[in-house]
Amino acid sequence: MTFSLERPETVGEAIRILSDPSYAPAVPLAGGTDLLLDVDEGRIPARTVVSLARLPWRTLHWEGDTLVVGATLPFAKLPAEAGVRTRLPGLVDAVEAVGSLALRHRATLGGNLGRAAPASDVLPILLAVGAVVRLVSASGEREVPIGQFVRGSRETSLARAELIESVAIPSAPRSAYVWQRVRPANDVSQVGVAVAWAGAPGAWQVALGGVLPTPVRVAEAEAQLPNDPPTAAEIDLAARAAAAGAAFTTDKRATESYRRRLVSTLVRRGFARAMAAGGVP
Amino acid sequence: MIRSDAALKSRGGASYGLDLETPGMLHGVLVPAPVASGTIRSVDLSAARRAPGVVVAVGAGELAALLPHGGDRDRPVFPSTQVLYRNQPVAAVAATTLAEARAAARLVRVDVAPAAPLLDIEDRYPEWPTDLATNAPGVVAHVLARHGDLDRAFRSAEFVHRETYRTNGVQHVALEPHACLAEVTDGTWRVRTTTQTPFGVREDAAEILGIPPESLVVEGTWVGGGFGSKGAAFLEPFALVLAAASGRPVRVAFGYRDEFLQDRTTLPAVLRFETAVAKGVITARRVRMMLDTGASLPGRDFATGYAIGFLLGPYRIPVFEMEGYAIRTNKPPFGPHRAPFAPQCVFAVESHTDSLARRLGVDPVEFRLRHVWREGDRTALHQEVGPFGATAALERAQGTIADWRRTLPAGTGIGVGLGFWSTSTGAGGEVRLRLTPAELVIEQAEHEIGSGSIVRGLVAVAERYFGIPADRIRVTNSPTSTAPFDSGVFGSRTAGALGRAIEAAGDRLLTELRSRSGATDPVRLESGPGGFLVVGGSSRRPLADLLTVEERRDGLVAEGRHYGRSGAIDTSRVVEGSFYPYTDFTAAVQVAAVRVDRETGSVKVIRYAAFHDVGTSLDPRMVRGQVEGGVAMGLGTALTEETLWGADGRMLNPGLLDYRVPTIAEIPPTEVVAIEGFLGAGPFGAKGLGEPPIIPVPAAVANAVTDATGVRVTELPLTPERVARALMLL
Repeated sequence: MTFSLERPETVGEAIRILSDPSYAPAVPLAGGTDLLLDVDEGRIPARTVVSLARLPWRTLHWEGDTLVVGATLPFAKLPAEAGVRTRLPGLVDAVEAVGSLALRHRATLGGNLGRAAPASDVLPILLAVGAVVRLVSASGEREVPIGQFVRGSRETSLARAELIESVAIPSAPRSAYVWQRVRPANDVSQVGVAVAWAGAPGAWQVALGGVLPTPVRVAEAEAQLPNDPPTAAEIDLAARAAAAGAAFTTDKRATESYRRRLVSTLVRRGFARAMAAGGVP
Repeated sequence: MIRSDAALKSRGGASYGLDLETPGMLHGVLVPAPVASGTIRSVDLSAARRAPGVVVAVGAGELAALLPHGGDRDRPVFPSTQVLYRNQPVAAVAATTLAEARAAARLVRVDVAPAAPLLDIEDRYPEWPTDLATNAPGVVAHVLARHGDLDRAFRSAEFVHRETYRTNGVQHVALEPHACLAEVTDGTWRVRTTTQTPFGVREDAAEILGIPPESLVVEGTWVGGGFGSKGAAFLEPFALVLAAASGRPVRVAFGYRDEFLQDRTTLPAVLRFETAVAKGVITARRVRMMLDTGASLPGRDFATGYAIGFLLGPYRIPVFEMEGYAIRTNKPPFGPHRAPFAPQCVFAVESHTDSLARRLGVDPVEFRLRHVWREGDRTALHQEVGPFGATAALERAQGTIADWRRTLPAGTGIGVGLGFWSTSTGAGGEVRLRLTPAELVIEQAEHEIGSGSIVRGLVAVAERYFGIPADRIRVTNSPTSTAPFDSGVFGSRTAGALGRAIEAAGDRLLTELRSRSGATDPVRLESGPGGFLVVGGSSRRPLADLLTVEERRDGLVAEGRHYGRSGAIDTSRVVEGSFYPYTDFTAAVQVAAVRVDRETGSVKVIRYAAFHDVGTSLDPRMVRGQVEGGVAMGLGTALTEETLWGADGRMLNPGLLDYRVPTIAEIPPTEVVAIEGFLGAGPFGAKGLGEPPIIPVPAAVANAVTDATGVRVTELPLTPERVARALMLL
């Protein structure tokens, strides 16, 4: 497909182009590693592709205990940043699970959120730690918790001409993301499991990716974990509860019964990994 | 530099199919059938013809005016009645730009009365076809051979072990898509294309188009990987038809998604074994095979008989019956994929062999050594086995296995796979040597496809034959109008057959030089600073002195040819169909070490070793490269690669995301051992090595998984979910 490429210098200009009917249909472009496949094969009709590359969003900073990641920061920059690996080990697990290193030099967190794939490797950990998405549009800025931001498979609560500016991610020194794939390298996860400790007893949070149209927190599993650290028996109960949830997807990548098996295994492994991940806030 | 093409390719200087361009060229796009099965009511090209930039649009109805015979033969360019598979080309459009051609192709209205597609051979035949099924629906070939009294052998056996295996389709995934550029002027049809077989394309396309082969000129480009996908006419007839209709040059090229959707390749099969064992050895076997052929099977019963021949293994089995059915489905046609169907058959037979050894409590390598062919043995169809390195390779593998058992961590599974191959078919070839005082030029038809068989293999033969350095030898290629004939780069035969042709031409050159020099002894060449010398006995003369002025410029020319002998089978053992006469047997033994995640079913191959019966290594570095590449490709067949089909005949994974070829992260350290001395029919006793490296990979990996877990996975590929299912986790 052919389209015209716009490269606005400012956020205002980007929003103006995205709202201008004479450019429609227009789509915002971050790294493009996912979007451009759909545009190329006509699954997303786009007359205009609006590159966000010149906007000042290739950033990363701490606001107290919260990591703020600009929407267009390539994934590859994240693990190298001071403190990220110790304060958010689960995020690093997830980021390093995305595609290949070459792809991570282009792909971005903002793009991953905007595309809201059911098997996204980063959405589960963002759910587990309680990340907040910061949005900007002509009517101003707003913040949306990640659980409300993702509405369905490939569906978000982004309004028309609204952009993801950054993602605020509370630190979770005890967190992990584990996954299973047909091929370990450069594949779509059949199941991904994120676990994170939110800093108080009874505050272990568990999220699953790849099993339903959207990544989900599993309250039934979390309810099994009143203590900190959780006992092996509690983790076992949590793993069973996570695997016993709603009807999981059967598709070309895995059957529902295999996904249930993986959820139960990966919840246990996620806890083992999270508890091994230090714990020094 | 090992390969003369390395510098050119590193600089981006090699021209491939997608680089083909010429002024005034049109772009051709094929119009795909919208359903997998049905009857064509009409193909309406009128809207496409009115679209911007369109020069011609052609369907079945338009062909009669274009082609001398209307293209109406067994393999029509476009179908006029039946749709055989989804995306089957039913028309084509050529326009000034690719975008215009694509847009116009979408305007072609294809009206098909759809029929329910048949996609799964086991849906059609949940039970096996009966012996009378030759004329049963969908059965396109039936082969049956037997020898000895099977019932008696089964009755007197200590046990009969029965297993059923299933394999799935794999794709070629050559990096370079198919592409060609056709021109038709003044009765000459000309196509430049990326192909493994310029002469094969000529014969094939001429037959499809109904024109004499001599009126078609095929010129190759560098080939970015073939693996069998570029071994017959594919896009060329479409491009030629569009060029004839438009009077303009037309390029037709696949996008990468088309490569998946249109690939003619290995499809699924069901393989069933019943093996009788007495006193620790196999006494009899019945094997049955159902092979999914997609829309068609080139060679039909011949191909079926070829595949089933692997299911007895390279083993002495005195009493047998083998029976194969090829069954049509609504998928793209079956086509050759590196060692066509052998990795799948060898997975099945070698898994079964391991099952027998386990049931007997015998070491799996020891069990193979009890049965494996040795020189002078006879195959099931009574072919004599020549020099065969299987025993030597198995014995070397035993050492590696013992070493790994000592050194690798507990829980590691180790498995072995033994495959055989037939490397020197009757497919012949010819070369023309041109010897000037400065260089030896090897003129021939083929273009390098990546393996090195042309750019390095032919040079290595000439280097060794003449005793001159590689930098004085050059390989050229030319179009079919002027090149010496060759059958193609396939079947592990290229360096062997063309190498033998080089030797034959070399004999003529040296005989001529001996006569010109007046030497009483045979002469040879030596490379000197001022050019070649002709040396014989005490005589050393500059080559230039023996050549005419013209020969010093154009070279002394000699042609050589090699047409190998086909094997012969004992047809009294054949009940129905035809079976492949293997020749020049070569053995491949491979050993895999794996770790299996017993909770998820994931398999990681941690070490690999390959022992190959090469006859003579023409170049040990090329042997290593070829084996490493074949192992890497085979690991995909073993673990991750399979084509998935929806109920409507749609391919579900037409891309590199969900059709999973191995990445470098999945490739283990691989030890390559050349077993030399069991000489074959190639130059200096070399045996072919294009295909053998991929053959035992799925078998070795599957047997390693069983060694690690105690359970057997009976279907390829061994995805984590299939392994988990075998481990009873689901």
